[in-house]
Amino acid sequence: MSSAGIQIRDLSMTYNGKSGEPITALQNINFDIREGEFISLLGPSGCGKTTLLRIIADLLKPSSGDISILGKTPREIRLQQKYGIVFQSPVLYDWRTVRRNICMPMEIMKIPKKERTARITKMLEVVGLEDFGYKYPFELSGGMQQRVGIARALALDPDFLLMDEPFSALDEFTREKLNEDLLNIWSKDKKTVIFVTHNIPEAVFLSDRVVVLSPHPGRVSAIVDIDLPRPRKNALREEAIFYEYVAKIRKSFEGV
Amino acid sequence: MEITKKDRRIVTAVWVTGFFVLWELLAFLIQFVMRVPMANTKIPYFHTVVGTIAQNWQSLLKDSAITFSRAAIGFALGAAVGIILSIIMSLSKMVEKIAFPYLIISQMIPILGLAPILFNIVRDMDTARTIIAAYITFFPVSVNMLSGLKSVEQEKKDLLYSIATNKFNIYYKLMIPASLPYLFTGLKITAPMAVTASILVDMLGSSSGIGVELLYSLYSSSTDVFWAAVTASAILGIFSYYVIVFIEKLSLPYKKNMPQKGADSQ
Repeated sequence: MSSAGIQIRDLSMTYNGKSGEPITALQNINFDIREGEFISLLGPSGCGKTTLLRIIADLLKPSSGDISILGKTPREIRLQQKYGIVFQSPVLYDWRTVRRNICMPMEIMKIPKKERTARITKMLEVVGLEDFGYKYPFELSGGMQQRVGIARALALDPDFLLMDEPFSALDEFTREKLNEDLLNIWSKDKKTVIFVTHNIPEAVFLSDRVVVLSPHPGRVSAIVDIDLPRPRKNALREEAIFYEYVAKIRKSFEGV
Repeated sequence: MEITKKDRRIVTAVWVTGFFVLWELLAFLIQFVMRVPMANTKIPYFHTVVGTIAQNWQSLLKDSAITFSRAAIGFALGAAVGIILSIIMSLSKMVEKIAFPYLIISQMIPILGLAPILFNIVRDMDTARTIIAAYITFFPVSVNMLSGLKSVEQEKKDLLYSIATNKFNIYYKLMIPASLPYLFTGLKITAPMAVTASILVDMLGSSSGIGVELLYSLYSSSTDVFWAAVTASAILGIFSYYVIVFIEKLSLPYKKNMPQKGADSQ
């Protein structure tokens, strides 16, 4: 494999629990992520999937092991502002309108004002919130707030999109709708997406590959290629082949 | 439950009438039921106080304005010090641990004792007054602002960290705006306190101000004037509170109609 993309080598993460005993959150993680790939980190709570994402984002330091992103360290990638991140909660700034929320990281990255305005308008269109630009976050539903968070990350036009269970707080209908929307957005420029989830159908529906993690200690128990044709629509969820993938991944959890 | 505009008007109407009735009743009680000697020099009827205010409104207004403007300067100074202190403390845990006991001790010293000492040091009434008003303001402002700064969710900071935001921008774009509701809670508590402090310093030998009016009326047993001055003081305190509420409404438009969070509960 070339040096492009992301390589994770012998990554382990140990931290001290409440009573001081060491807890292994991640043990010997090894896998590669190709450029332009949509990859999911899937597993039950406590499997370290969020920890792994936060290490890639340089929000946490691993205890041992290496990560190389485009041949650079996660810290270099963060300092070069190469990734956008979406959290489980929308993380909106209450005192800013939707437009100014999307604008915030661009202000910090010193993107010219004209360019910012253009990108905000475009992103609002992409996430279907054209009419809500001048609303405050509290005036929006949970699903709309999460869209603002996604628009904000996309507006940076990052090389990588890191998503930490972005839809887990939403109801099933909104989640499926946003899954499809996310694929539409992604299909336009095929950025590398690392998507953390505990929802098997969601991982199958979205991903090129699913990295299945098992808990205690967190480790990779399977990597499943999802060879479903794109573009994928929600109707795909009813097809037999979709179920097969879901069943296959579910099985990989057995005996854990 | 939601309070409508109409409900609010009812509350105000009941409050004002209730206040008036209670005062008149109290004055009546001590005069005719308890038969306190010279009752009208202790608690006069509210309507006579209103009469006195109407008669002396010019001097009351002038003295109120003097006291209030001095309180305002001290308040602004104290608020600024409080805000800066809270930011420094939030930047360094060590500074917080070192500074906090001093701040607590500073609040243990009674203002009544501190004011004359301070006056003897600076030898200037206006400086003393400003410092005392600032002194009484800075602590609640600082403590509220600090808890605001500490309440910012980790993910909001992570998001800025993820694009390598510097400390200045983290404070300027996130920490300070996020703490404003807490700051305003502190300001609403301290604004009337700063007015009280200013009145107190008036009484320590100033030549003008509502506190002087209070003191002289006490010496000369002109109870009506005393109560008129007390009423004016109360109005000043309430006014100072609502000035802050007004500024808060202007600067935090997003809080309008927003489900109230813990920040605003006093």
